[in-house]
Amino acid sequence: MTAPARKICMLGDFGVGKTSLVARYMRNTFSDTYLTTVGVKVDSKEVDLGELGMLKLVVWDIAGRSVLDALNMSYLRGASGLLLVADGTREASLRTAIDLLLQSRSVLEDAEAVLIVNKLDLVERWEVGPSTLAGLRQTMPVIETSALSGDGVEQAFLELAKRLAR
Amino acid sequence: MSERHEMPTFSAGVEHHVAQFLFERAQPLLLQFDENWQLVNLHGDPARFGFDPDNADAAAHQLRDLFLGMPLDATIDLPFVHMPNGRSAHVHLLGGSEPGFQVLLLDAQGEHDRQQAQQQVGNEAALISGQKSKAIAQLRQIRSELERQRMRLAEANALKNALIATLSHDFRTPLTSIFGYLHLLDTQAPQSASVRHALRALRRNSNYLFTLAENLLEYARADTRSSMLEPVRVDLEYLVEDLEGMFQPLAADQGLEFTIGVELLDAKTPVLDELRLRQILVNLIANAVRYTKKGGVGVALRWQDGALSIEVRDSGIGIAEELHEQVFVAFNRVRQAAGSGAGLGLSIVKRLVTQMHGSIELQSRLGEGSCFHIVLPSLASVVAAPQGGTEETPALESSRIRSVLVVDDDPDICYLLDTWLSDLGFRVRIVGDAGAAVESALADPPDVLLVDVELPGLSGNTAVFRLRAKGYRGHIVTLSATPTEEARRVALNAGADQYLTKPINIEVLARAMQAATPRP
Ligand SMILES: Nc1nc2c(ncn2[C@@H]2O[C@H](COP(=O)(O)OP(=O)(O)OP(=O)(O)O)[C@@H](O)[C@H]2O)c(=O)[nH]1
Ligand SMILES: [Mg+2]
Repeated sequence: MTAPARKICMLGDFGVGKTSLVARYMRNTFSDTYLTTVGVKVDSKEVDLGELGMLKLVVWDIAGRSVLDALNMSYLRGASGLLLVADGTREASLRTAIDLLLQSRSVLEDAEAVLIVNKLDLVERWEVGPSTLAGLRQTMPVIETSALSGDGVEQAFLELAKRLAR
Repeated sequence: MSERHEMPTFSAGVEHHVAQFLFERAQPLLLQFDENWQLVNLHGDPARFGFDPDNADAAAHQLRDLFLGMPLDATIDLPFVHMPNGRSAHVHLLGGSEPGFQVLLLDAQGEHDRQQAQQQVGNEAALISGQKSKAIAQLRQIRSELERQRMRLAEANALKNALIATLSHDFRTPLTSIFGYLHLLDTQAPQSASVRHALRALRRNSNYLFTLAENLLEYARADTRSSMLEPVRVDLEYLVEDLEGMFQPLAADQGLEFTIGVELLDAKTPVLDELRLRQILVNLIANAVRYTKKGGVGVALRWQDGALSIEVRDSGIGIAEELHEQVFVAFNRVRQAAGSGAGLGLSIVKRLVTQMHGSIELQSRLGEGSCFHIVLPSLASVVAAPQGGTEETPALESSRIRSVLVVDDDPDICYLLDTWLSDLGFRVRIVGDAGAAVESALADPPDVLLVDVELPGLSGNTAVFRLRAKGYRGHIVTLSATPTEEARRVALNAGADQYLTKPINIEVLARAMQAATPRP
């Protein structure tokens, strides 16, 4: 019996670490060098959610954008979950992530969303303050991660997976 | 995407050529699936995109994932999709033709690479410019923080200087009293050996305390003022005697030989800033005595050709040549390593010498003792006329007893001045404030008015000014604990004839009174 599959999209500004998060989650690897993503790369992984059963996550790593154009919208079709990614060292990328969520609502009314604030290993250079994140937590799950160290990465994907399994 | 564009018509030959060209570039792969995602047909080379030709199921799975959640009866275009072998392809779902669907893959690697290169440059530039403006903002913040700190430091420094100045200023009044009474005891009471010894120790330590206070004051006013010389005729022999009395016992206590002498080879009286001269000598000798463990300290003064040359030689530990510059720097390590206190002495000596337009030289080698050599030019050209004046004297008044009105609020000082002035043959009256001084001086004008500046209520200067304004013509000597040129100028402008700074000793007072009431 095959596990049910869900499509989730990585959404966020360029360079925030979407590709790195996927690489960490899928293959447990990390690279320092930045190679920007053009188009989309799709990966999948089955997760065991305990009593919620197995779930196959089909993860779309999409090129970073600060606004959703028609092209990006076409990538979003069929997604049931969104991993919004911001870079803690760039406050503007957090606003972008929220902007992208609002824009995506026109094509994905009911998608579950989890906000990832990445580059936790650089926390002493973070522009995003803890109180800002506390405020955002009132509206959606917020998880601080580091693709570099792996902290929070598994947890972030699991959190979204659980919401999709229900 | 089902709308049809108006296509220009070309000849069959051209159309064929274009089709051929595009076909070669795109390397199309068409996969045909039934409604259960079973591959039913295939055109093109699946290996080009990394699909295993012998495992159609795997390919089917991957493509199926791509259309997860999408309506499969529509036409869907997914540009730039990462294929299993890493190539980029445009993926088109051509739905709704038959029961099932076709997936068309067109190679987009070349296009992908061009776009990636462009995007990479753009993104990196944006990231760098973000970092740059962040760094600039940080620098700006650091700079303003530094500026704030600098201002705080400057403020603290000014406060510190003011505090030191006030402190050393406050030392003068009690020291005046101590010196006065010491002198009184020295000259009047018949003394046992042990009392004499105790008095010597008291005098030595008061002198040391005085020097310390003077040094602090000098240090505090370092950057604010440089030339506030007070040129007076200096009795070098008396000065030498004084220094001998001060340091001989100290040296003897340490088992050192102490010699001090002066040669007067110029007939003219030396005119120098006595307080500063004294400070220079006291500092140099005190240092020499302190750092010499055996042998001796020798001081030689020579007044010749309108200049005073001073040599202070010791047989102490010496100073390495490379440290000669450093010893004149305040709080330097050389001195601190030698275990002394604040290490202000030599830096102040250097400053004082410079202020007096003199020069200082150090000859020393480690382990061979040190010799400081100073030359101070006479300040005769600067000296004001009414300072001395023992030359011509009206013989008329010689027999009359002179009167002095002392204006001071410190009873100890009053008593001391009373004693000294009586000793000097004056009739003394004493009042405690400026108002009483004006009243008393107008009622019975004294020959000399000796007035302290720092009085309760109106200042001594105000009293002087009002008296002059009301026609008082006697001699006025102003006494103050503030040894600055500014304070001196203010006092003289108010109408004083002489300005003396505390602490004063009987010699200074005697000279001042002599200048005030010339006798043959
Ligand atoms: N220190 C640190 N660096 C990270 C982390 N995550 C990603 N990076 C670095 O950030 C840069 C961008 O990472 P990517 O994962 O390529 O970013 P992206 O969001 O996929 O970027 P686009 O594809 O251009 O949208 C790379 O140099 C990564 O090495 C992290 O958690 N910590
Ligand atoms: Mg990427």
